[in-house]
Amino acid sequence: MRKTLAVSALALMAAGATQAQELRFMCYQDGAECDAWAEAFQSFEAENPGTTVVVDVVPYQAIIESLPIQLEVGEGPDLARITDYGGLARFLLDVRPMVSDPDLIEARYGPSLAWARVGDNAPDGIYNIVDQLTATGGFANATLFEQAGVEMPGPGASWADWAEASRAVRDATGVDFAMAIDRTGHRFAAPAMSFGAALFNDEGEALVIDDGFRSFSEQFVAWHEDGTLARDVWAGAGGGTYQDAAGEFINANLVMYYSGSWQIGRFGRDIGDAFDWVATGAVCGPAACTGMPGGAGIVGLNRTEHPEAVAKLMEFVARDDIQAQVLAQTRNLPANAELQANGIAYQDVTPEVAAALTAFAASVPDFSDTAYALQGYQFNRAVYTNIPARLTQAIVGELSLDDALARLEQDVADAIAEAR
Amino acid sequence: MAAIVRALYEGAFNLFEKPMQMLQYSLGAHRMAWVFLLPNLLIFGLFTYLPILLNVWYAGTSGDRILLGERDWTGAANFATLLDCGSYLDPNTCRRDLFWRAVHNTGWFVVLQVGFMILLSLIAALILNRNIPLKGFFRAVFFYPVLLSPVVVALIWKWILQRNGVLNAGLDWAGMPTVNWLLDPSWAFFWIVFVSIWANMGFYVLILLAGLQSIPSDVYEAAEMDGTPAWRSLLRITLPLLTPTLLVVMVLSLIRAVQAFDEIYVLTGGGPGSATTLLIQYIYDVGFATRPRQFGLAAAASLLMAGVLLVLTLLQLAATRKRAEDG
Amino acid sequence: MAEVELRGIVKEYGAVRVVHGVDLTIEDGTFCVFVGPSGCGKSTLLRMIAGLEDISGGDLLIGGERVNDQRAAERGLAMVFQTYALYPHMSVRQNLAFGLENIRMPKSEIAARVDEAARMLKLEPYLDRKPRALSGGQRQRVAIGRAVVREPKVFLFDEPLSNLDAELRVSMRGEIAALHRRVGNTMIYVTHDQVEAMTMADKIVVLRDGRIEQAGAPIDLYNRPVNTFVAGFIGSPRMNFLPCKVTGHDADGLTLQDAQGRPLRAAVDGRTVGEGDTVELGIRPEHMHPDPEGYPVQVENVEQLGGESYLYVRTETGVALTAHLSGQTGLARGGRAFLAIRPEFAHVFRKDGTALPRLRLGELEGDTRT
Repeated sequence: MRKTLAVSALALMAAGATQAQELRFMCYQDGAECDAWAEAFQSFEAENPGTTVVVDVVPYQAIIESLPIQLEVGEGPDLARITDYGGLARFLLDVRPMVSDPDLIEARYGPSLAWARVGDNAPDGIYNIVDQLTATGGFANATLFEQAGVEMPGPGASWADWAEASRAVRDATGVDFAMAIDRTGHRFAAPAMSFGAALFNDEGEALVIDDGFRSFSEQFVAWHEDGTLARDVWAGAGGGTYQDAAGEFINANLVMYYSGSWQIGRFGRDIGDAFDWVATGAVCGPAACTGMPGGAGIVGLNRTEHPEAVAKLMEFVARDDIQAQVLAQTRNLPANAELQANGIAYQDVTPEVAAALTAFAASVPDFSDTAYALQGYQFNRAVYTNIPARLTQAIVGELSLDDALARLEQDVADAIAEAR
Repeated sequence: MAAIVRALYEGAFNLFEKPMQMLQYSLGAHRMAWVFLLPNLLIFGLFTYLPILLNVWYAGTSGDRILLGERDWTGAANFATLLDCGSYLDPNTCRRDLFWRAVHNTGWFVVLQVGFMILLSLIAALILNRNIPLKGFFRAVFFYPVLLSPVVVALIWKWILQRNGVLNAGLDWAGMPTVNWLLDPSWAFFWIVFVSIWANMGFYVLILLAGLQSIPSDVYEAAEMDGTPAWRSLLRITLPLLTPTLLVVMVLSLIRAVQAFDEIYVLTGGGPGSATTLLIQYIYDVGFATRPRQFGLAAAASLLMAGVLLVLTLLQLAATRKRAEDG
Repeated sequence: MAEVELRGIVKEYGAVRVVHGVDLTIEDGTFCVFVGPSGCGKSTLLRMIAGLEDISGGDLLIGGERVNDQRAAERGLAMVFQTYALYPHMSVRQNLAFGLENIRMPKSEIAARVDEAARMLKLEPYLDRKPRALSGGQRQRVAIGRAVVREPKVFLFDEPLSNLDAELRVSMRGEIAALHRRVGNTMIYVTHDQVEAMTMADKIVVLRDGRIEQAGAPIDLYNRPVNTFVAGFIGSPRMNFLPCKVTGHDADGLTLQDAQGRPLRAAVDGRTVGEGDTVELGIRPEHMHPDPEGYPVQVENVEQLGGESYLYVRTETGVALTAHLSGQTGLARGGRAFLAIRPEFAHVFRKDGTALPRLRLGELEGDTRT
């Protein structure tokens, strides 16, 4: 009896070895992204018997710090949810040869697919399916504007308009800060481009310090000196450390806050009905009205032993219906062109959140090519982390702005040289 | 109960006795020493010496790859980059100005922090060594911060020093102008020195107290009989007899000041600008925080720092030896 | 130079009184030794005189001046500590000069005094050494030198020889005695060693539990101890005590009877005791010697030192006695012996321990063997 059991167990295992495939998916979430995907994968598993997907939910820090090291030494999951496509480009799996309809994916996700087509990756490869498009943009405390009796700048308003209006509101209401911008080059890049910064040279290499970049940098430092921008955010840290001002905005201590669409969920939850707030969409400069696109997406990793299964899963993830279903739960902006055009029926959202999502979604199509190029640039992290380090030195008076910009250009060049 | 423990304990010894005897018989008493050293050597080798060797290797390579095989050997290039300066006194003339800013900051930090900490610890120890009321309470007060994690220390002080913090609330209440303490480079530097003294001095007060108490009381009685004024007793008796302890305290605090990182990183993040960026943070920033990661440069910077620490450690060993001889 | 006078000196630590109203006068130039078992308060008394301990009650006079409230240095005293208490980081020269520098004495005079003290104490070769490079005896001489250079009114010594080995102790004893002869100052010396006390003192003060038991010249204390404590403390080996009953008295002394009814005589004034009173007869070991007519005992142990011998014996009533004989003895362990207890050597103590006045002193009558 015991013998027969053992034999049948062996037989089962042998059968499993030929058929059953387990895909490990390393996932981080701002909100409920991993939970939503885990739910969606149940239908994938139903459609593909023998393939199971294990979702390992990890903190974002693990994606940033552990995953690259695992991959470097040849370990790691089969799929992951990441944001740094350029940095991990050489570990990504091109699923184009294995999916049934690559052209459909190309049509739906074209702009964001380019973000992973860097370095030695195929220029038409399909490496990533973005499930959370983000866009930088402003938020304004409408209640404060109302109290101050100041008219809120409308769509298409410039940085100068916002600065003037925010200062007026701050002075009238007595709150601490007029404007704040998150401490990262990613946020800084958007107004810089709106002021005319080209960022890239003719060979497509960053970072070029041109008149546009310089003129926003001057304005940026001047706004710190006259108190328009909250000094605490940029001067409150050193090096390339990221710092936001969401807390000040939530506490109604800040009139206008330049951050990004990923804050919508948090504001909806934490502000509640304490005050009215609106998303301003992109803010304009003399040259453009662009924000920075960005986004988390799911990638296959080329170390996987089941590339076919990974490709199948990627195609599943890319499907319009699946994206619509997941994004409705996660309340994220779609990267999928079809969904961008038709909109998503978000579940259980307040009118403010819905309006903000719409405002951000509406601003995305106007984003400049440079913005997409920077997001897809292999060494964009070198730009993002070095800008705050150097600009802060100019803000606190450690370096003249000219010296700071010269150092910035050199730092980025050194960092890129190191990585090549 | 005790008997059971004892039986087990002795049983364990008996268990090892035979194999150990046989081992000693076959190896000889001399080589037997290595058998006992082996576990320690393995642990040290694996977790100390091997990483040091790897660090040296990394310092000679460039690139953002982790596997040494995928990195390019560049020899002393990283050191050359770090040491490439017009004048070491002006970081702006250096190729890696942030490294030299960190060196300068660390230098000032070490001088000020160690100087004031020793002075304050000495004063505190001298006072606590007298028969003052609530002596035990005050000793605990001084030592308590040492027990806190550096992160907790930094968060406590951040809470005190931030724009709407306790200190500014107090100043405001007293009708005095408030200051954004951590956003002004000079004030921020003052506060990292202050906070790290606050967090660490209890430890040195304790060592100095032990040193003071190891001075025989009859020497003071002899001085009393000799009609020695208090200040002369301090200068001619207490300080000379405390010198070995002071030396140990100085070198220990020097080493720790050069290594300062955690509470400062949490308190100011090295800012504003680079006003409070010390060496360890520079290494962390270059090697891990900014992308792409420049492991080679970070490794080279940490080796340069290790050289300084080595000198300080040798000083400490010499000081400890002298203390042992004097004691 | 000064007389030291203690009037009702009391020391209390909180509620605990450790010195109970000591009255004592130490005449100018006297070498006075405080002696007693540990915890008797002798060191505390010395430290109160020195100014290292506060005086809880009573008056301390030095040279006729009340100094209770003066600091140690102002009292014009110098002290030599048991542990030497040298400044370990200073050379011998600096150790000697330190106290003089405190009073801003001119450099030339400091040098003169240091040189003189060094010559007197044979410290010249060591002047530039640190204390840790000196032997115990040398260190003690430095400590004495440090006291000498200050030319104090009174020298205080707190068990200065107890950290030295026996041989060195004897020679240092001589040096301190010589120092006293040379400088002639008042010296107060604390020891628990009655031999030191006997050999050095002009005046011995025996202390017990914070009280003076007896003060006087060494030989007076030996000859006329006022109670069993002093009798037992002064003299080595200890005095023997034999419980007795008074059976009668006459002009020559007392008639006693031991527990077995054996008669004994003591040349003491017995007017204050009555017949039948319980007393203790005291006899020093060196005053007992074999005598066929003597008191029968059992020999338990014999120590032959060549020039002298010790007999450890037990009476028939079980009392242990020691006899110190000059020369050698033929008595052997386990044997029977008879020891003379002569009336002119006997002390008699009442039940409360106080002594009866002796009528004759055998010690002064020459040969003890007649």
